[in-house]
Amino acid sequence: MRLHRIATVGVSLLAVGALAACSSGSSPSPSGSSGAAASSASAVPSGSASVGNDSDVRPYDPAHAGGTLTLLAKGAAGTLDPKVNYTLQFWQLYQGTYDGLTAFKHVDGEGSFTVVPDLAESIPDTTNGGKTYVFKLRQGIKFSDGADLTTDDVVSSFQRIFKVSSPTAGSFYNGIVGADACIKAPETCTLEGGVVGDKTAGTVTINLTAPDPEFLYKLSVPHAAINPKSAPTKDAGNTPIPTTGAYMFKSYDPNTALVMVRNPNFKEWSRAAQPAGYPDEIDYKFGLTVEAEVTAVENNQANWLYDPPPADRLAEIGSKYASQVHVNQLTAFWYLPLNVNLAPFDNLKARQAVNWAIDRNAIVKLYGGANLAQPVCTILPPGFPGYEANCQYTNPAGDTWQGADLEKAKQLVTESGTAGQEVTVIVADDEVNKAVGEYVQSVLNQIGYKAKVKAISGNIQFTYIQNSNNKVQISVTQWYQDYPAASDFLNVLLGCASFTPGSDSSINMSGFCDKKIQAQMDDALKTEQTSFDEANKKWAAVDKAMMEQSPMVPVMTPKLIDFISKDTGNYQFSKQFYMLVDQLWVK
Amino acid sequence: MWRFAGKRALAALLVLFAISVLVFLIFFATPGIDPAARIAGRNASQETLTQVRASFGFDRPIWVQYGLMMQHLFINRDLTSFVNRGSQVIPQVMQAIPVTLSLVFGAALIWVVLALIMGVAATAARGTVIDPLILVIGVIGVSLPVFWLGEVVNLVTQSRLHDTVFAWVPQLGYVPLTDGVGPWALHLLFPWLTLAVLYAGIYARVLRSEMVASMNEDYVRMARAKGIGETRVLIRHSLRTSMISIVSLFGLDFGALIGGAALLTEVVFGLQGVGKLTYDSLQNFDLPVILACVLYASFFVVLANFIVDLLYAWLDPRVRHV
Repeated sequence: MRLHRIATVGVSLLAVGALAACSSGSSPSPSGSSGAAASSASAVPSGSASVGNDSDVRPYDPAHAGGTLTLLAKGAAGTLDPKVNYTLQFWQLYQGTYDGLTAFKHVDGEGSFTVVPDLAESIPDTTNGGKTYVFKLRQGIKFSDGADLTTDDVVSSFQRIFKVSSPTAGSFYNGIVGADACIKAPETCTLEGGVVGDKTAGTVTINLTAPDPEFLYKLSVPHAAINPKSAPTKDAGNTPIPTTGAYMFKSYDPNTALVMVRNPNFKEWSRAAQPAGYPDEIDYKFGLTVEAEVTAVENNQANWLYDPPPADRLAEIGSKYASQVHVNQLTAFWYLPLNVNLAPFDNLKARQAVNWAIDRNAIVKLYGGANLAQPVCTILPPGFPGYEANCQYTNPAGDTWQGADLEKAKQLVTESGTAGQEVTVIVADDEVNKAVGEYVQSVLNQIGYKAKVKAISGNIQFTYIQNSNNKVQISVTQWYQDYPAASDFLNVLLGCASFTPGSDSSINMSGFCDKKIQAQMDDALKTEQTSFDEANKKWAAVDKAMMEQSPMVPVMTPKLIDFISKDTGNYQFSKQFYMLVDQLWVK
Repeated sequence: MWRFAGKRALAALLVLFAISVLVFLIFFATPGIDPAARIAGRNASQETLTQVRASFGFDRPIWVQYGLMMQHLFINRDLTSFVNRGSQVIPQVMQAIPVTLSLVFGAALIWVVLALIMGVAATAARGTVIDPLILVIGVIGVSLPVFWLGEVVNLVTQSRLHDTVFAWVPQLGYVPLTDGVGPWALHLLFPWLTLAVLYAGIYARVLRSEMVASMNEDYVRMARAKGIGETRVLIRHSLRTSMISIVSLFGLDFGALIGGAALLTEVVFGLQGVGKLTYDSLQNFDLPVILACVLYASFFVVLANFIVDLLYAWLDPRVRHV
C-alpha cells in the first residue's frame, strides 16, 4: 500500500531537539538485530496463527466507557466502502467497524502483526495441499442493522470484492478458484467452487488454485471484510454498509464529518479480534488546516489529528506537550526508483553510483531529523519479516548505512560512460519531497550528470512515475506495507508481474525484471508454505541480490507522530493499522 | 431593450459554455492526469484498471465524455465526484452556498459600515492629522494578505491567548443558522472581521477620494450657498453622490466573493464554503467538482456583468445600439 501520509515536516533543527524528549511510543522501536525475532512472531505458517497468548490484550475497563472522541483531518479519504477504500485513514476506522473471517490482533506493539480468528471460530488447518480452508462461523453475530450473519453473507462478500472492482481484486484474491472469471466479468461473478457456504453446518470453504501462505493476511485486511449480502454490488460511496464490529457508521459527508456510534447489536466475542470500544461516539471532522488541527488538540477541543504536525509546531508540541506525543517506527520506506530501461540507469554501474552517492542522513535531516526517520540500506524495513542488516553501499563498510562515498560514485559514473547525460528527478510538490528532489539533483550533478528536478502535484505524481510512457528516469516515492510479509515489498515493488509498460498502474517503477531473482522469489514464496522462518532467510537473500542490481535507492524508514489531547488516554499503536482509535479513553 | 437583453443573455450562455469546455480540456491536457489509476487504487491489476476506466467512461472519445458529464450535471443532476465516490456534486455545492453567503453577507455589512465611517471621518477631518491616519490604517488593511491575517488571528484567539482573553472564542468551523443566531455569529465573527479588513480599507479610500472630489462640485457649493450646515452637506449631498461608485464596486466584489473568491478566508477558518470546495477539488484533481465550482463561480460573475450591462443600457440609451 502507498499511503498519503507523507509528513510535511521539513528542516527543523528545533524540532529535532524537542522531539528527543518525547516518549517514543509504547511499542519498542525494532532494531536491526530484532528482525529475526519479529519475523517469527508474525509468521503465519498455515493454521498456526491463532496459537499464541493474548497477554498483550488489555482488559476492558468500564470506568472509562462513554464520551465523544473527536478526530481531525484536513480531508476525508474518499469512499466509505471497505471493499474499495485503500487508505490508511479509513482502514484505521474499519478496525472497530468491519470484521473479516480473520483479523490482525488489536493490540499495542509486535503482537499486532499476528492473525487471530475473528468472525471464524478458529483458524483452520489447510487441507488439499494448502489449497483449502474450511472456516466455521461464530454463532449469534448480528449486523448493525439487525440481520444475522450467515454463510451467505460470507460468500456474497467474496463475490463483492470482484463486483465492485476492489483495488486488490486482481492482486490479493486472484488465487481463489473462479477468480479468473470474476476478474473478466465482474457482474456475473459467482466464485463457483472457490467460496462455498454450507448454511446448515455454518461453514465456509475457500479453495485456492495454488497454496498461498500469505492468504490469512489477505483475509485480515478490510477488502475481505464480511458485508451483508444485501450490500450494493457497486461502490457504496458515502452510504454506510452495516457493520459487525463494535461501532457502525451513522453518517458521512466527505466535506464535513464522519460519525461513528456504537453498534447496538454488538456483543464482544474476542477481545483480541474485535474489542468493545470506549467512546460512545466517534466524530471525525474534516476541513481544518493542519495548523488549526494542532491548536485544537492543544486546546482539548479535539482528541487527535490524523495529519502529521507541521515542522513549525514540532518544537512546541515536543516541549510543552511532550507527554501527549507518541512516536512510532513504521514498516515503510522512502526510496528512489531507478528506471533500468532508460539511460543512464540502464547501466548497472550508473545505478550503483547513485546508491553510493546519496547521503541518507542528509535526507533524514530534510524530513525532520533522526527522531522522525532512520537511514536504510535494504528494501525491507528494519524489524520487518525477512529483514537482515546488510549494506552494500556504505563508507565505512558495515551492516547498516554509515556514510556516502562520492569518490567511488564519480569513478563508477566515469566507468559507465554515462557522465554528462541529462537526468530529471520527478518529485511530488510538497515541501519535503521537493527538498529531497533538490538534494538528489545536487548529488547527481556532483557525480557527473546534468540533473533537473520536476515537481508535480502529489496527487498525480504517484501514478505518473509508474507509467513507462512518461519516461521517468529517477523519482522520489514511498511504500507502506499492506501486511507483514517480505513479498509485499520485494515481489510487489520489483517483481516481473508488477511491471506493465504503458500503464498508470505499474508499481514496479524501476521496470526491473530479473529472471534469476524472480525465480529466487518464487522459491521463497513456495518455502512460506512450510516455514516462514526458512522463507524469510530466502527473502533476505533476495533483498541482497536486488540491491546488487541496484534498481532503487532505499533512503529511510519514517516514524509517525501521534499527538493526542491531554484528556485522552489508553494510547495503543498497532504496527498494522496504527493507533487503535476506539480503544482511546475520553473519560 | 428586450432584444438587447436577449443578445446579452445569449452571450452570457456562450461564455459559460466556453468556460466549461476550457476547464475540461485543460484537465485532460494535464500530463499524468488520467483519473482511472487513482480511482482504481494502488497496485490495481490491469483488469481492474480497465473496468474502472470503462465504468467511468474514460475509454470513450473526449467529446462523448464531455457530453456525458454535462448531461449528468444539468439534466440528470446526479454527477458524482471522482475522489469521494458516491458524493454527488450538486448537493455538495448546495450545502456550501449557505456557508459562503453567511460569511460574505456578514463581512460585507461590516466593511460597508466601517468604510462609511472611515471615509466620512477622513473627509470631514481633511487638513488634520486624522485624515492621513485613517488613510494609513486603510492601507495597512489593504496590504495584509487575508490568509496571513487569518492565521495570525487564529494564532492569537485559538492558541496564544486562548486560555485567557479569548476563552470565549469557539472552535474553528461553521455552525448553521438553524443552531441559533448566537453560535452562528460567534463562529463567524473572526472570519467576518478578517475578510472585512481588506475591503474596508479599499472602500474607505475610494469613498474619501470621491467625497473630496465632490466637495468642489457645483451642487455642494450650491448647498453651502443655501446655508446648509457642513455635516448635512457632507452626509446628504457629498456622501450620497459618492456612494454611486461604491455601489458599483460593491456589486462586482460581492458577486466574485459569493462565487468563491472568499476561498482563502474559508480555508484558513475551516469554513466549508464554495471557496473551500473549489480549493479541495483543485488539490484532488476532482474534475466533476472543479467543473461545478467553476461554472457556479462564472455564473455569478457573468450574472453580475449581465445586470451591470442591463443597468448601463437602461441608463444610457446609446449603449443599446452599439
